[in-house]
Amino acid sequence: MSSTKPTVTGHSETTQRPADARSRRDDIRRFFPILLLLVLVAVFSLASPRFLQFNNLMIVAQQAVVLLVAALGMTFVIIAGSIDLSVGAIVALAALVAAATAASLGIYAIVPACLIGAAAGLVNGMVVAKGKVPSFIVTLGAMVVYRGIVLFFTRGAPISIDDERFLDLYSGRTAGIPHSVLIAILLIAAAAVMLNLTVFGREVRAIGGGERIALLTGIRVDRVKIAIFVLSGLMCGMAGLLQGARAMAATAQLGEGLELDAIAAVVVGGTPLTGGVGSIQGTILGALIITILSNGMNIVGLDPYFQNIVKGLVLVLSVFVTIDRKKIGIIK
Amino acid sequence: MKIVATDIARSFGSTRALSGVSITLEPGRVHALVGENGAGKSTLLKILAGAERPDTGSIAIDGQPYAPRSLAEATALGVRLVFQEITINPSLTIAENVFSGQLARFRSRGLLNQAAMNRAAQALLDTLAVDVSVAQPLSRLDLGQWKCIEVARALSTEPRAVLFDESTAFLNHREADQLLAAMRALGKRGLVVAFVSHHLAEIAAVADQLTILKDGSKVGDFAAGELDRDGIQSRMVGRDLSRGLYPARPEARLAGAPMLRFIGVTAEGLEPTSLSVTPGEILGIAGLKGAGGERILEIAAGVVRPRSGGVTVGGAPLVAKTPADGWASRIAYLPGERTTEGLIVDASVLDNLVMAKPPRRGPFFDRAKARTMAQAMIARLLIKTSSEKARSGSLSGGNLQKVVLGKCLAIDPRVLLLNNPTRGVDVGARTEIYRSLREAAKEGLAILMVSEDLNELIGLSDRILVMRGQRIAASIDDPAATSEDAIIRHMT
Repeated sequence: MSSTKPTVTGHSETTQRPADARSRRDDIRRFFPILLLLVLVAVFSLASPRFLQFNNLMIVAQQAVVLLVAALGMTFVIIAGSIDLSVGAIVALAALVAAATAASLGIYAIVPACLIGAAAGLVNGMVVAKGKVPSFIVTLGAMVVYRGIVLFFTRGAPISIDDERFLDLYSGRTAGIPHSVLIAILLIAAAAVMLNLTVFGREVRAIGGGERIALLTGIRVDRVKIAIFVLSGLMCGMAGLLQGARAMAATAQLGEGLELDAIAAVVVGGTPLTGGVGSIQGTILGALIITILSNGMNIVGLDPYFQNIVKGLVLVLSVFVTIDRKKIGIIK
Repeated sequence: MKIVATDIARSFGSTRALSGVSITLEPGRVHALVGENGAGKSTLLKILAGAERPDTGSIAIDGQPYAPRSLAEATALGVRLVFQEITINPSLTIAENVFSGQLARFRSRGLLNQAAMNRAAQALLDTLAVDVSVAQPLSRLDLGQWKCIEVARALSTEPRAVLFDESTAFLNHREADQLLAAMRALGKRGLVVAFVSHHLAEIAAVADQLTILKDGSKVGDFAAGELDRDGIQSRMVGRDLSRGLYPARPEARLAGAPMLRFIGVTAEGLEPTSLSVTPGEILGIAGLKGAGGERILEIAAGVVRPRSGGVTVGGAPLVAKTPADGWASRIAYLPGERTTEGLIVDASVLDNLVMAKPPRRGPFFDRAKARTMAQAMIARLLIKTSSEKARSGSLSGGNLQKVVLGKCLAIDPRVLLLNNPTRGVDVGARTEIYRSLREAAKEGLAILMVSEDLNELIGLSDRILVMRGQRIAASIDDPAATSEDAIIRHMT
């Protein structure tokens, strides 16, 4: 019966503002992430000459890669109006599979790592789309289960990776540039093409903009949602592989808390949790902001026990500035 | 109380919503503000109610200057507004909705005195002569009763003027009747009552006085009965509509096998139903909410699955498990709620127009072709928009509905399913929608239209089915020879 009643709203008369003031505010909103990034870079490079050195920049890039790759998948999930809390656990699961198969498969351990990630995402997507359980709950449960699987098989002990070819390819450098960064650039390009140039990308946005509208317009919402979670899982598979290669081991704790950093990266990049809109560029900026903030605070020697406070404040501040309140009626 | 507004003007950016409009509202008379979407009638009402402020002009109540800066200030001065949107909170009780914002009145020793509040709410509802008991759960009431609860809320501050901003927009005619009765009751008690509407039947039913607006200016003030429907309509639109709202029916029907057939179809909310629509035909379906009309559309669209019976489209069985299957069979569906089911208001006009069948090259979206498609559809349906890239939410209601219709026509459908295609759409856009529908039918489209607007069913349909009790109660083969009363008799 609720479908026959129009949405219950207060009266939502938009207040009129002079056009130039509005566009200035829009500009601030749009350019805030890049401004924030530039400010952080400026502050840290003034505070420590080490920050801008090539070596440190490569370290930042390497640190950013795992977060960024996981956040790429998360961008699709959030634009579609869902959430994926299981990415950290899938990363750990994929790293475990990579570690377990690297000795026998060498560089081809990428295949099982990606497959396990995609499979974990498929399970999430099936339960969300077919079981009609909210993604927050599904992936909260999945996070615990996948992490539990890792714990069960590792018994808490790290599994080391020492296959030379594997380590060379996934954590080596060419001309000083880490391979993981090159891989991330490929994945960024693929994600940007998918989101912006394909019909799939439009369907993702349509579902986030209005799931019932998308459904009634003939979009196969279930299939698209499953594909989104598989994509997120696949990205986590890659992130797990790269993280395992970098640490030369898979541990049960690997990727803990990564889901929250990935969500933060997406949101700081200007993609609202309400879905419908968002961009890959934003997510890249968001991931860089979060990584540079951590790296910079370490380099300038900020009290490690104080760092989390700064990190949390920056997250809320940036959403405070970038959120478009006109388009979001209710802030939950 | 007598409200006199003089030379009111208001602009939004470069748009002049009102220019130099004067109006006098007398106590004890129901005053209708009439006009198309964008005529300025809602803006005028909102200025009177304190929700908007005029750029120039003045208002006086009983000779005293009146310039409210907010709804709250107007309320304090005895002027209340009832919104177009539903503002009932379904998780509260009826009494809590009536007294929302003033629950403190019923505080006793720190707790809420529910009994006193319920008594007071019931007393207010009783003055409206509506059959609502505060003990009922909100979910049992219809939208007309919800709206009456909002009127009771307005009365809770003992106003001397109550203004209604197109408050019947979401109601069907039976629900609207309750609200209209409540308006009449307020008028009889000597209050100032004004309402915004473009429904001629409503205006005829309750208005004592009417003011017609067009493009932000006043066309004139008229007493009830001074103008007939055509007279009101042509003054609203600014051109002669004596040729009628509705396009002429074709002399000869397109012959052909049925495009859509229902053979003994049953579903939850639908008793065994058989019907057929041929290419070129517009089949209208009348009936109260829940009588089965909407269910027929939902089954054909793949939203609801039938329990038994067969549906064929183009002679082949239709298996529609999801709406996507319906669209894939070239059955386009225009749902009843424009902004929650029809289109995404935050997306561009282009995004919405091509959503059902995005042009593609392999997996890629073909942007150039989409632009051509969107521009062609904008021209075909006379959609008023700055460009195909404009945010859909910036369009007026009538143009939004044209976008939804454009989305349907963009797939080159064989069957078009319409649920109240012109709800909340003004007369000008309506004629254009009717013309587009008739043209599409002439080219061989089979159209199935459910509507609560009986006038529209009579004017546009080639044949009308009347639903009652979840089955077809009557079939009217010559709509031109029938009347609204005759259809209502079959419906109830």
